[in-house]
Amino acid sequence: MSTINVKIAAIKQVTPLIKHFTFVKEDGSEFPAFSGGSHVVVSLNIGGRVHRNPYSLMGSPTDTSAYHISVRKQEQSRGGSVFMHDYVAVGMSFKITYPVNLFSLAKKGHKHILIAGGIGITPFMSQIADLKRTGADFELHYAFRSPEHGAFAAQLAKVCGDKFHCYIDSEGDRLDLQALLGNQPLGTHMYVCGPGSMVVAVLETARNLGWPESHIHSEQFLAPPIGEPFKIQLEKSKIEIQVPAEMSMLEAIEAAGVGSRFSMSRRCMWAL
Amino acid sequence: MERGYWIRSKPVYTSLVWHEKATSHLVVAQGEGGMAVLKIFQQMHPKQPITVLYAHASASDVDYANTLKKVVPEGLQILASEQEVLDELKTILPTMRMGLRVYVAGSEGFIWAVSEAVKVFGVEDADMMKELTGTLARSIYCVHCKAITHNITTNIAKCAGCERMLFVRDHFSRRLGAYMGLMVDAESPGELPEIEEIYP
Repeated sequence: MSTINVKIAAIKQVTPLIKHFTFVKEDGSEFPAFSGGSHVVVSLNIGGRVHRNPYSLMGSPTDTSAYHISVRKQEQSRGGSVFMHDYVAVGMSFKITYPVNLFSLAKKGHKHILIAGGIGITPFMSQIADLKRTGADFELHYAFRSPEHGAFAAQLAKVCGDKFHCYIDSEGDRLDLQALLGNQPLGTHMYVCGPGSMVVAVLETARNLGWPESHIHSEQFLAPPIGEPFKIQLEKSKIEIQVPAEMSMLEAIEAAGVGSRFSMSRRCMWAL
Repeated sequence: MERGYWIRSKPVYTSLVWHEKATSHLVVAQGEGGMAVLKIFQQMHPKQPITVLYAHASASDVDYANTLKKVVPEGLQILASEQEVLDELKTILPTMRMGLRVYVAGSEGFIWAVSEAVKVFGVEDADMMKELTGTLARSIYCVHCKAITHNITTNIAKCAGCERMLFVRDHFSRRLGAYMGLMVDAESPGELPEIEEIYP
């Protein structure tokens, strides 16, 4: 997979748990343009083990001078977010993938309802830039735990004006999904990104209100929870591998050195 | 047609079935499509609000208007023509909300005319349930002169625009509601394969 060499140009603590990172290209050239909702996969070498973490690009898609990501420090981290928060410093170099969009806006939509929970706001930052540029009809509904966790709330309020609605849990604000999704004009598309329980609640509400699947969009890129350790045996090579709780099976196979014999493609390894 | 092979642009039609979770229903039918409406009301009378638009069939077609009046519990409008149905859609759709489900039944030309009309209001083809009734007759778009010829029932037909003899393909344009037709005897003028009725 082709990658882009980048270095950290700036780091900003946005909330007690969220840090914002600005990447520039190592050779000083422009980044490729991207579309709202795109993410990049950042390779992090943590103690010799490569983590590949996806992060939404938060800047305006028209700004190709820098890429912006925000990272929330996860309590149950596999290591990536803690590394980003505690060890990454300005000037450090990384490899990132080209932007990929698995959460794009429906271009035929007449109206767009964006629902964000906590750090789930990140993919919407670039989508909002796109929606503003095309003059599309949209609403942003942003729910978070308490005032200090409302990363970007002030900035969004300014950018979105009366299209911005925020719900602060600690102040007893609740987003009434039934009321919101129960009264939208035909041709509305809905997008949700946030913690799993919130995404599930939103999807269920939309489906129960008869929304067609093609109008419902969701993204949930929180790292999978840490599992139970287990053991696998590779059929052909008869190698037995212990898969630790915080590793994927593939990572464990790679760590055992099997992957190096088949380094051409990650997919090939399954043929072992 | 080679077995096991199909053209992806060719629409797949099903029988109409109520969407259980809909918050309102809009059923649009014409002529023979009236039977599909009677069939869907055989399944149940949904508790959500219902609108049914029915266009009288052309002279040769079966007309279900009288039966529909007896069966449809509310929201039935009998209209004189396909055009009146399309005009009525423009009137009622702006007030409709998400959760509305659209069902359409009739000839292929009617189905895609309705699809174009509702698309303007953000209802996409994939969101709509479609039942083809009455006839398999196709509209053919001539790739040479761009004219559309309607009600073709044969594998090869004469273009109404340029009079070329066109081979009727399965490639379908949802926007035009028509299949692709291309000159069948371009390489050997006048030599035509046998013309057979395969879309009765």
